Amino acid sequence: MSRQWAFYFDTQKCIGCHACVVSCRVRNDVGTKEAKWRRMEHVGEGSFPDYKETSVSMSCFHCATAPCRQVCPTHAIEKRERDGIVTVDQDKCIGCHYCAYACPFGACQYGDDGLLQKCHLCLGEGAGDGHGKPARQKPEDGGATAACVDNCVTEALKAGPINEILREASEEAANRYSESDVGPALVVEPVTQESHDSIETTDPTG
Amino acid sequence: NPDIVAAQEQTDREIVHGNCWISRASCGQAITVEDGRAIDLTGVDGHPKASGGQGREGTLCSKGVAQLDKTYNPNRIRQPYIRKDGELQSASWEEAIEFAAERLEQFREEHGAEKMLRYQGYPLTDTHDKLFQRIYGAAIQVGRKTTCHGPFSDSWGWMGGYGREWPDWQNSEYIIAWGRNPMECFRGQWEPNGILDARKNNDATLVTIDPRYTKTAQKSDRWLPIEPRTDGALALAMGHVIIEEGLYDEEFVENWTYGFEAYRENVEDKTPEWAEEITDIDAEEIREVAIGFARAAPRAIAFPWTGIAYQGNGFKNAQAIHALNGLVGCIDHEGGTRHYRGPSLSDPHAERGIELPDAHEDADLPDYDDYPYQRHIRNYSHNYVPTMVEKGDIKGYVSNWSLPPKSGNTQEWLRALDEMELVIVVDAFWNAVSKRADVVFPDSSQIEQPFLGSGGDSCYPTRTWVTASNAAIDPLWDTKPAFDIYKELAEEMGYGEYFPWDSEEEYLDEKLDAVDMSFDELAEQSYALVDEYGYQQYREDGFNTETGLFQFDLAPNESYAALADELGVSTAPEWQPVDDDIYGETTDDEYPLLFTDVFVEQISRGHCQALPESVEEYLDRYGRAYDDYEGNYLHINPRDARPRNIQTGDMVRVESRDDAIELPAHVYEGVRPGWIATVNGFGEGSVHPEEAGANTMTLNREHHVEPVSGQVDRNHPVEVTKAGGDGA
Repeated sequence: MSRQWAFYFDTQKCIGCHACVVSCRVRNDVGTKEAKWRRMEHVGEGSFPDYKETSVSMSCFHCATAPCRQVCPTHAIEKRERDGIVTVDQDKCIGCHYCAYACPFGACQYGDDGLLQKCHLCLGEGAGDGHGKPARQKPEDGGATAACVDNCVTEALKAGPINEILREASEEAANRYSESDVGPALVVEPVTQESHDSIETTDPTG
Repeated sequence: NPDIVAAQEQTDREIVHGNCWISRASCGQAITVEDGRAIDLTGVDGHPKASGGQGREGTLCSKGVAQLDKTYNPNRIRQPYIRKDGELQSASWEEAIEFAAERLEQFREEHGAEKMLRYQGYPLTDTHDKLFQRIYGAAIQVGRKTTCHGPFSDSWGWMGGYGREWPDWQNSEYIIAWGRNPMECFRGQWEPNGILDARKNNDATLVTIDPRYTKTAQKSDRWLPIEPRTDGALALAMGHVIIEEGLYDEEFVENWTYGFEAYRENVEDKTPEWAEEITDIDAEEIREVAIGFARAAPRAIAFPWTGIAYQGNGFKNAQAIHALNGLVGCIDHEGGTRHYRGPSLSDPHAERGIELPDAHEDADLPDYDDYPYQRHIRNYSHNYVPTMVEKGDIKGYVSNWSLPPKSGNTQEWLRALDEMELVIVVDAFWNAVSKRADVVFPDSSQIEQPFLGSGGDSCYPTRTWVTASNAAIDPLWDTKPAFDIYKELAEEMGYGEYFPWDSEEEYLDEKLDAVDMSFDELAEQSYALVDEYGYQQYREDGFNTETGLFQFDLAPNESYAALADELGVSTAPEWQPVDDDIYGETTDDEYPLLFTDVFVEQISRGHCQALPESVEEYLDRYGRAYDDYEGNYLHINPRDARPRNIQTGDMVRVESRDDAIELPAHVYEGVRPGWIATVNGFGEGSVHPEEAGANTMTLNREHHVEPVSGQVDRNHPVEVTKAGGDGA
């Protein structure tokens, strides 16, 4: 468990600016109109003037039991033992898109060559680059900060080993994550202000 | 250890600094360069603009991260062009410089240099103005005060002696974002960081007053979707409550203000109930916000921008808003509206004992003081330039990175540019101006040239700062840094003596003499904090106004007082509704919807429309990235769309009393019924390679100006009809 890397997202902090999306494109040299490894969703609800929007930054969440891997007929998708990051071996991928049907987050994307490419948590810099790369290191140990995290204006998006992420999260977010051991490696803060206030009580920075 | 080896694989890379100029905020960039090519970038940690402060992570916004899309954009102007036999033809630098110098000389002999307009752009060097204004003698400049912030900066400047106060976000306890959207249209990441810091550390209240649900509204405790152009009524009612409740700052009002009695008189009967009728904001809510604001003061801010500045009655509205800041004494207070200062830098010309001629000073300038709707200001308004061309007062144009036909009176501006005898531009993209120019000098993008900036508003509210960077990469194609262009042009014109510096770095180095730093040293570290200065500077210096006080009432300002007299308005804050005469057009049965244009985070006002990454993210924000369309969308409430049979994706025609534009609709609940909007800068004449979308200022005409400042009024009554499509 502690080797699993995870994303952290706090919609209360997210200002919906799309810097994470563009950063991902730039770092991984994926052009516009090409595969989108990360995207922003703006979910609107209610009628004027009781209208509300929530901004959500989405990508592959490197699920503990990755449904994409389970359906891959050629075993091109690996759930890595050493850091829990889900990578793709493009030499094995046949572009059948089964993974896209299995993924609940729309994270499986395809290049012009028809092959799967997706977030590899910046293990490398480009499509398929994550496969075969050494274990993910924290920046202080020589690893790169994931591009999306690096340019997150308000620290709404973070990435790191799950035990560290959980320590920095609110109790509610941590509990929700712990409810399932097969789901996405994503610790997400509650959307409402009331629950959100509990972040202060579990602040681990001390 | 394989991990360390992996990290070391990349040692042929270096990280160098840049300063983002996409929306001219100068955020410090940390750029990864590999084999002479920039491949990645992020913000500089602790940078005054790019971070939340000391020890904080530096970031870039989505526009800033698109920098490489700008630098390596295939649509950039790659070499100089000159117009020969009516056609723009590629030319060598030598040819282009010689051609431009000759034409400039000829222009001055035939027409006089004062007929050359300097249109304010965003040059990366101050040598543009030194060459064209002080040496050549082009005396007329039209600038941002008449396209961006005139009603706000003029009213605030005359009231507090400081035209563009900026909030001290992080120390505030009550923030009113009034027709401004600082969580996305910010001048650097320090702004959203500062606001979120205030929320987290001070439990600050955030209130957004805007007919649109912006990202600032999303983060706010209250969103007040006000009836557009009634902001002054709301502000006066808030003033009424604060005075009635005795919550104003008596010490400040007594000792540091002028005209309180006139203000008090004007708000005496302006109850929240009175304002509710006008603004469509519940009287109780007005009371609560007024009291919350006043109780938090002086750590409180009421801060407007284009939402107010784009209004025909914007001057009075901005005056009434600023009166609130004066009333609660938050002017230049910690957590209030700050009078930011920058460090004084040296003037390299003075350093070398070179006196510039000031050729512009004795120019015989045309007088437009009696021109309709521009009764007060002496500066020329953006919207009148075509008339000035017609009258023969302007016959030429020089600018650097600017695009006036998207800022007002579009059709006339396009004609005026065609009529001018000589148009010289420095730019990186083809647009309505560069395509019409006689000489096009291809500027390098920011990361291909040195940069020096200073300030000013930042996450260090009590410090002045400087920021600098060397060129991260060599100029691409056959482009040159702007400094080199002006130096070469000056030399060819016979003014070599005024540009003795061998390089721009040397010139910038001399600017830094005053702060005792070398350019290389500063560029290496990206930024430095310079002087320390305190809050409430007026306690030592007074206010820079006629009375030395904060002026609720502008009676002491003679020229404004004369104008107010002529218009029959109070010199003190007063409610001034739109009137179909001089304060803006009203909606009616024929044109029942009010149209204006807005900003979003992804698209700045300048050259972002040419950046595919920025356009794609703007469209994706509204779920429209997968359409075969790369222009702007018309945002319209379902209550307005339904009776017109309009669905998202339909092409719609937006018709005003003067003209019409077409663009697709985006129907959603995030805009006020009766009010429709789109993102400006698209369409005809824009930098977008296919000119996709609609240019909103096609609807705008010369007379659409705010009467005090001459600023373009971007509010137009329209009717919208379906022009095609079956939704999407």
